[in-house]
Amino acid sequence: MLNLYLFQILNGLGLGMIYFLIAVGLTIIFGLLNFVNFAHGAFFLLGAYICYTAVSLTGNFWLALLLAPLVVAALAWVIERVLIQRIYHLPHMFQILVTLGIALIIQEASVMIWGPVGKSVAVPELLRGVLVVGDFIYPYYRLFLIGFSALIGLGLWLLLERTRFGALVRAGSESTETVSLLGTNIFRLFSMTFALGVALAGVAGVLFAPLRGAQPFVGPEILGIAFVVVVIGGMGSFGGALVGGLLVGVVQSLMTTLWPQGASLMIYGAMAAVILVRPYGLFGRA
Amino acid sequence: MQRRTLLKASLTAAAALSLPLSVRSAFAAEPFTFYGLKSMSGAFASYGKFADMGSRLAVEQHPEILGRPLNYKVIDTEGNAGKAVRKVQEAIQQDGARFFQGCTLSSSALAVAKEVDKAGGVFMTPVGADEVTGKDCNKATFRWSVPTYGAIRETLVPLIKLLPEAKRWYTITPQYVFGEALLEGAKTVLKDKGLEHVGNSFHSLQEQEFSGYLTNAIAARPDVLVLLNFGSQSSNTLRQAVNFGIKERMKVLLVWSAGLDQFQELGSDLLEGVYLGAQYWHQVDTPLNRELVKLTQAKYGINPTYPLAADYISTKVMLDTIVATGSFDGPTVAKAMQGLSYDGPTGKESIRAGDHQVIKDYYLLIGKAASEMADKDDLAKVLSAGQSFPPVDATGCTLA
Repeated sequence: MLNLYLFQILNGLGLGMIYFLIAVGLTIIFGLLNFVNFAHGAFFLLGAYICYTAVSLTGNFWLALLLAPLVVAALAWVIERVLIQRIYHLPHMFQILVTLGIALIIQEASVMIWGPVGKSVAVPELLRGVLVVGDFIYPYYRLFLIGFSALIGLGLWLLLERTRFGALVRAGSESTETVSLLGTNIFRLFSMTFALGVALAGVAGVLFAPLRGAQPFVGPEILGIAFVVVVIGGMGSFGGALVGGLLVGVVQSLMTTLWPQGASLMIYGAMAAVILVRPYGLFGRA
Repeated sequence: MQRRTLLKASLTAAAALSLPLSVRSAFAAEPFTFYGLKSMSGAFASYGKFADMGSRLAVEQHPEILGRPLNYKVIDTEGNAGKAVRKVQEAIQQDGARFFQGCTLSSSALAVAKEVDKAGGVFMTPVGADEVTGKDCNKATFRWSVPTYGAIRETLVPLIKLLPEAKRWYTITPQYVFGEALLEGAKTVLKDKGLEHVGNSFHSLQEQEFSGYLTNAIAARPDVLVLLNFGSQSSNTLRQAVNFGIKERMKVLLVWSAGLDQFQELGSDLLEGVYLGAQYWHQVDTPLNRELVKLTQAKYGINPTYPLAADYISTKVMLDTIVATGSFDGPTVAKAMQGLSYDGPTGKESIRAGDHQVIKDYYLLIGKAASEMADKDDLAKVLSAGQSFPPVDATGCTLA
């Protein structure tokens, strides 16, 4: 039995890295742009569907992993320039309404293009099979997801903390006017940040497709998980998204053994517990 | 115009105007409206789309019914019991609606059944909840799908015969009435056959991540993993089970599959070697099914799926009975449907008078390898078919 709990903790850590990947784009957009993107789940599903189409046409998952985030980011860029840029200054309620509308359009357009029945994407040939260590079995594909998510996390941290782009974005989030006065096109910077956050949702959609398929109604569920992770970690905190994702993954996985019927519920239980102790999340700022 | 002709015409017009409303309506051949309850939007839109296609096929076979044009009206249930029942109430009160067919969710069907019964109408549904023909049965409501009792017996019993070496069985179950009914049935069958039920994982209705439950199942070292969930939950469980290499370690049975549309979504890579329970399969060779396949291919260019077949035959049975009785009166039609035998897509089907349950086959299929498929929909083959139904007095239905 002890072994089983150990397996569930390991499985939960893997799941947590996937949740981190889902949530990190949302937290970047909120943290740096102070913008609430309720279309995050819809961009995720778009990534999954583009992956499905690319794999169907070319049979190459890796091409889909490259292509889908670029297409999703390009779309996000256009949406940001045309629509989002006009509502940055408005209260969050307006941002929620607009992005919810975008989410519905993307969802219904996906149903029109790909149909209401979900689509499956095969695990790439290279990553099929499982790792067997004693009694523990873990799919190679999930191991790859953990490693890939960690790499993306590291890359993002370097981008935001160690590059000029990152410094400008962080400065812009503190004072738009100051950065503008220093000669930086702040709106272009915001467009790039928004596209980056959405591209990460697209990456998550692609990587999740072999596990969950491409489903037209997955958006709200993904958005829910992303928000739970972000709220636990602290809105806008990059490190918080990582810790929040891991916490949610481990809680969910452990609960499937301890109290299976309440496993989904306990994700929200964990969120409530964190909010009670730290109202702004584990790494959030007041 | 001659004076005599004018007089005759005037008299006829005056007589017509003085007739009671109902008689005038008959002369004017007012259309008769048949209502399809379909989840055309929301999370169950994929089901509703096919179900609607099935009803339309049956309606097109009756351009007129008892001398009146037949009008088919879709009520979008939105996969939501509250909305479904509200829309049905409106149709009953405002339009005098009496004949309904469909519903995707059991909760919707149970609520609608009560309203249609109160209004003296007729309602036929393919939903899964056993209460429809069990403790919540009523004289207006009929069900086409085999109940959980039959689904379990017609999959587990033949599979136990096929796999005599399989002694240890593990179940994954959604925790609500439908899942628990399947689980109880499975436990009873396994106990009767002297086999070991080595464990069960319950999950919530919202769950889509099954890696934890699969880890539990692997740890129990079963010979067969039995999935008692359905729809997107069963698709995701199967997807993730294959990802965990479970097919190489044990046999997998999905007791309540959605049939062809779910198989198309999953594809042969995932389905190969998986045992699948099904209410309907388009390759079954029966006279009506051959006709249905031809009709569906001609109109839609696809093979019939389970929701299409279920709603086609249910709509057809209701319309045919209206014609046979020569009446649009709900109780008269409902009474005529009791004990009715007809050619259905699964062969000879009949409606049991005691609980309004359709007696029909349930299938055990096995997923084919891509190399064995004759066409893109040849995703599974039938291993066995049979009928298992609880006796009426065990259903909790008190119609008789």
